[in-house]
Order: sequence, then C-alpha cells, then structure tokens
Amino acid sequence: MSRHRLHIAIMVHSQIIYEGLHTVLSQSEIDCIICKVDSLDDLADILHSKKVDLLIINPLLLVNREKEARKIRKNHPGLSIVGINLSIVDNHSLALLDSSFTIFDTVEQVLSKLQRIGIDSELKAPSNDDNLTDRELDVLTQLVHGYSNKEIADSLNISIHTVVTHRKNITSKTGIRSQSGLTIYAISKRIISIEDIDLQNH
Amino acid sequence: MFDLIEENPLLLLMMQHFDIDFRVGDLTMSQLCKEKGINEKLFTSIANLYNGFKPKENPIDSVDDVKQIVRFLKNSHDYYRNDKYPQISTYIKQLQENHPEKELKLLEKFFNEYFAEVIDHLYYEDTVAFPYFIELISHKPNNKNNLYSAKEYSEHHTDIELKIKDIKNLLLKYVIINDDLNLRRKLLFSLFELEYDLYIHSLIEETILIPFGYNMERV
Repeated sequence: MSRHRLHIAIMVHSQIIYEGLHTVLSQSEIDCIICKVDSLDDLADILHSKKVDLLIINPLLLVNREKEARKIRKNHPGLSIVGINLSIVDNHSLALLDSSFTIFDTVEQVLSKLQRIGIDSELKAPSNDDNLTDRELDVLTQLVHGYSNKEIADSLNISIHTVVTHRKNITSKTGIRSQSGLTIYAISKRIISIEDIDLQNH
Repeated sequence: MFDLIEENPLLLLMMQHFDIDFRVGDLTMSQLCKEKGINEKLFTSIANLYNGFKPKENPIDSVDDVKQIVRFLKNSHDYYRNDKYPQISTYIKQLQENHPEKELKLLEKFFNEYFAEVIDHLYYEDTVAFPYFIELISHKPNNKNNLYSAKEYSEHHTDIELKIKDIKNLLLKYVIINDDLNLRRKLLFSLFELEYDLYIHSLIEETILIPFGYNMERV
C-alpha cells in the first residue's frame, strides 16, 4: 500500500478482544503500528510525543469522560476515533465517534470501515499549507498596496463583506494580521516584487 | 521562594516588576511578601498567571493592592521601554545589516513603527489610565460624571501583542535568511519573552484591574 503507515491505539479492557483486533489488523493489508492504551490520560500522554491516527475504543470507556475525549479531539484534529461496540451504547458516547463496528461484524466489514477512516485521517491531517486562492491573492496584492476594503471591493467587483471574508482567510492561512506584516509576507513569497513597494513609499 | 524560581525562572521577571531583589535566601513566599508589604493573595494570583493559571476571584483587598498593581504594571512598562524593545530593535538592526534582502529593511521599518505605537500606548497608560485608577480609590463616589472610565480603558486597551506575533510568524515561516542562527535565535527568544510578558500584562489588566474598576464605579 502506498499510503502512509497508520498509528493505531486500541483501548479495550478485554485482553481477548485486544489480541483479536491485533491479529486481524496485523494480518490485513493495512500498514499499521498498534499500541495498547489503558485510559484517555494514557492516550493523551502518548499523543504528546507521537502522532496517533486512529483510536479504536470500547465506547463504554467514554461514559462520563466526554470532556476529556472532546479535549483530545480538539487538540488532535488528525485523530479519528472508532468504537468497537460490545453492547448498546448511549448517544452521548456515540457522538464522540467517527465510526463504529460491533464484535459481530465480519473481518471484512471491520477492515473496510477502518480503511475508509485511514483515508479520512490522511485528509484530516493538518496541512501547513498557506496556499492562497487566486482571489485571495488579488485581495492581498491590493491590500499591501494600501487600498481600503471599499476600493478593493469596487475594483474586484465584489462586496465589502466578501473582501472582509477573504482578509480573514488570508490571516488564518498565513498567521499574519497587520498590513505591514502581510507586505513582508507577499515579498518573501514573491507575490509582489519589492519595486512595487518602493514606488508606494515614494 | 527559591524552589518556585527554580521551577519557573520567569518568576524573576515578576519579582523585578514587584521591586523584589532576586537574592531571596531561604525565605518562603509568605515571609517574602510580609517583608515587602505585598498582599500574599495578590502575589500568588500574579505568580499563578506566570505559571499559567488565571485567578478565580479578584485578589484586590485594599487600596494598597491597587497601588501595588499599578506600580507593578508601570515597572513592566519600564522593562518594555528600556530593556526588551531596545534589545529586539538592536537585533533586527543587526540582522538587517548582515543581510541585504529588502524584506529585512521592511521588517525593521515595520518594527520601528510598531515600537513607536507601543511607546505611545505605554505613555497613555502611565499618564491617563493608571492615574484614573489611583484617583478612583482615593475619593471614590464624588465625581460620577468623570470623563474617563474603566470601560473606556478596556476599549482603548489594544492588543499590542498581535504585531509581535506577526514578526515571529514572518521569521519562523516566511522570510528567507541564510545562517546567522545565533543572532536569529537571540531575536526569537527575545520576541517570545516579550510576547509572554505582554500576555500576562494584559491578563492582569483584564482579569484584575478592569473588573475592579467596574466594581468601584458602581459604588
């Protein structure tokens, strides 16, 4: 398989089920590394130092731990959580899962669900891409030349509201908020040339 | 106190803002506060801010506490004005001299303009905002129609941290500079230190001083 290796954590108390999952996963064509975790705290510790793509968990272990689970999700958006249902699960816990299977599913059913998540997790992995869209580049260029939102809106034939949205997106993609900062960004990225700015300053 | 400093050396900065000497000997925090005439609750709240915890309740108990906080904030202004910003400015200037790229010239310009803004803001706080709070505690109810208020202060109180973040982001993500790692590291460390202290500074204003002002105005 050409996809990147999946790091999978399994959190179930039953040794039999853990061993079973381990065997099924190891013998499958999913390229993965598996580790066992005993608690959400344990998982959080591991996440500090390592990337985990997928957590397979008995949803009963999430009962009354929703807050911790949500925190982990928030801090690690690349992590997918799949439940292995041994019994009926309440909606609160289900809401925390991306997907689930039961111990009565066939090996094929389980694997196909996990593979689908594997692809998702690749897509969900945070990209450090500050690639701006063409429209955002237009707005940025005008912005660093000192045009106001109104002027930009008029020249690009869009509403001021849209200009503001583009500006917000530019800031969230680049991490740069001020106009001077964006100017330096635009030059470093060769979006505009330094001469343009020199003309401005004179 | 020694153990606390060892755990978080940034507390030294806090002590300096409180006008406390670094040679703490074997004094406990409580003994130190008593010796310096600082409300221990206030001291703990601010130390906790430096350790990452926001105060649950407003630690201001008395008129002296407000004076103490204002003195603390003024001292941190001195630290920004006379120590941290000039230091960063020197590093950026040096960097600009070492590398011909025009971006760095712009970065220097950006920083200098920003520095001037900060100086203005600090001056405003020193001469308008802080005296107002001191006034508020000394004779509270008689001038209801005061031109100034804690609300105005909180609105005027701009986030001067944001541009520091921009400079940090530019240096860590975008502007291409070859080598010169020592200088760049020193610059980045300074930026992080400044950002951290500015963050705490604004927390003290937002979670302690401004809520206190609101309460007093309501009296």
